[in-house]
Amino acid sequence: MARPSDETASSDIETQLYAKRQKIYPREVHGLFAWLRTAAVLALLGLFYIVPWLRWDGRQAVLFDLPGRKFYLFGLTIWPQDFIYLSALLIIAAMSLFFFTALAGRLWCGYACPQTVWTEVFLWIERKIEGSRSQQMKRDKAPLNASKFAVKATKHAVWIVFSLWTGFTFVGFFTPILELGAKLLTFSTGPWETFWVLFYGFATYGNAGWLREQVCIYMCPYARFQSAMVDSNTLVISYDTARGEPRGPRRRGLDPSEKGLGHCIDCSICVQVCPTGIDIRDGLQYQCIGCAACIDGCDDVMQKMNYPKGLIRYTTQNALAGGETKILRPRVIIYAAILLVALSAVFYGLLTRDPIGLDVIRDRNALYRETSDGWIENVYTLKILNMEEIPRVFDVDIAGIEDARLVEDEDGVVVGGGEVVSYVVRVQVDPDEMSRQSTDFEFSVKARDDDSRVAVESARFVGPRWMGES
Amino acid sequence: MPTPLTQRITAVLWPSFLMAGLATVVFFAVFDPYDLVAPTWFPNLSRLGAYSIGFFLFWLLTASSCLLTCYFQRPVNRVNRLPGRDKE
Repeated sequence: MARPSDETASSDIETQLYAKRQKIYPREVHGLFAWLRTAAVLALLGLFYIVPWLRWDGRQAVLFDLPGRKFYLFGLTIWPQDFIYLSALLIIAAMSLFFFTALAGRLWCGYACPQTVWTEVFLWIERKIEGSRSQQMKRDKAPLNASKFAVKATKHAVWIVFSLWTGFTFVGFFTPILELGAKLLTFSTGPWETFWVLFYGFATYGNAGWLREQVCIYMCPYARFQSAMVDSNTLVISYDTARGEPRGPRRRGLDPSEKGLGHCIDCSICVQVCPTGIDIRDGLQYQCIGCAACIDGCDDVMQKMNYPKGLIRYTTQNALAGGETKILRPRVIIYAAILLVALSAVFYGLLTRDPIGLDVIRDRNALYRETSDGWIENVYTLKILNMEEIPRVFDVDIAGIEDARLVEDEDGVVVGGGEVVSYVVRVQVDPDEMSRQSTDFEFSVKARDDDSRVAVESARFVGPRWMGES
Repeated sequence: MPTPLTQRITAVLWPSFLMAGLATVVFFAVFDPYDLVAPTWFPNLSRLGAYSIGFFLFWLLTASSCLLTCYFQRPVNRVNRLPGRDKE
């Protein structure tokens, strides 16, 4: 409902309610944890950009072939029937997240989350083009002129090219990347491929270039429930209040106790390096993604001041309070146990996976047919799936229905390696022999050259209502 | 506490995106679009196209539901503020 007269009042409320986001300019930081994060970024993005180009047995090694409804993971092929493994994989991912969070807080967010990883790259590009934090802030305050425009346009152009390459790589996980690349060179990619390249590219550009920490604060579900996994024995990034306070500026070389000060010189480096713009000295906060940039920043300052490092450090609440940190506690053991069980179940399941699949689909058009000799006939489509890489010939048989005839058009079905074949068979019975209108029975397919390759599936035979009444 | 605009938009588009993605995976793992619609209605639609359209239909559905949730969260006294009445 539009209420024009209310417009001014509501727009007042809008300005009050919707706080404008202050842009955060994280200051560049060097140190152990920055190095670790760079290593993680290189490893993870390296995997992302290289893996789709790997080959295995003449095909793409890792391909989630959505059009073909098959997932290839090196030597392994996952079918829609193996959906259970996907669920198991999700459980494993969730449990790993719980396990590592209970041990050491938001390791995932600080080092491995795609949001962090791509934002790092975008920040790196930004720094190469726009310069340091102070240069960026100065430029953003200055009025728009030719040089500012040139710098900004260059940055966005590089971001966009990188995003498009990311989108292309992403789609390359789902359609063969070599063909996709060839099609791209001639601008002949399919409409849906083009759409998803642009969609993922745009998402990368928007999330890593513009939204950044807002993704962590407003979009991430994990950040919201992290407190359920963290306890007082979890390693978190903390400011040592007892050692740092009272904070205050001082000359180098001065004994802080003379001035009644703690070790924090209130230089605000920890705030400047924070990608989410918080002050870690206010305590553990929901916005903290555990990137440890403040540790690196502060350690640097402590070294310059000749104070011991670790005013901000990875520690536990218990340790800060002077107690002991217990690593093996029930929640860690339980998470680890569930993780181990799920992992072993997946491995066991994959190793003992039935390599032959059989689906039986009844003919949808007719419930039954009557043959010329008065018998009742049902038509079935068998979907025979051969998960192994060797082609095989399969023989079809039925069991559990007395004196029925199985009518096939061919002698045995040839199913190539990694293929599904639809095969139509007819089952006929003498209505006088039947005691019921519908009868459950079983189809079986068996490889001609290997008795262990068998699949059995139940089916139902349906006749006219009068069948079995006489 | 003011709610940033980004958070409001995100609260509608993002959870619905996640759920639509999940629904698409589960739905198409069970139903092959070729068996479902392709032969009769959209003979030229590729599987990738069917998945994509399916995803956006799911997203439309889930986003509508998120939007309605937000809409009904509006406090009653704000609905009461009709034109012509004194503003509090």
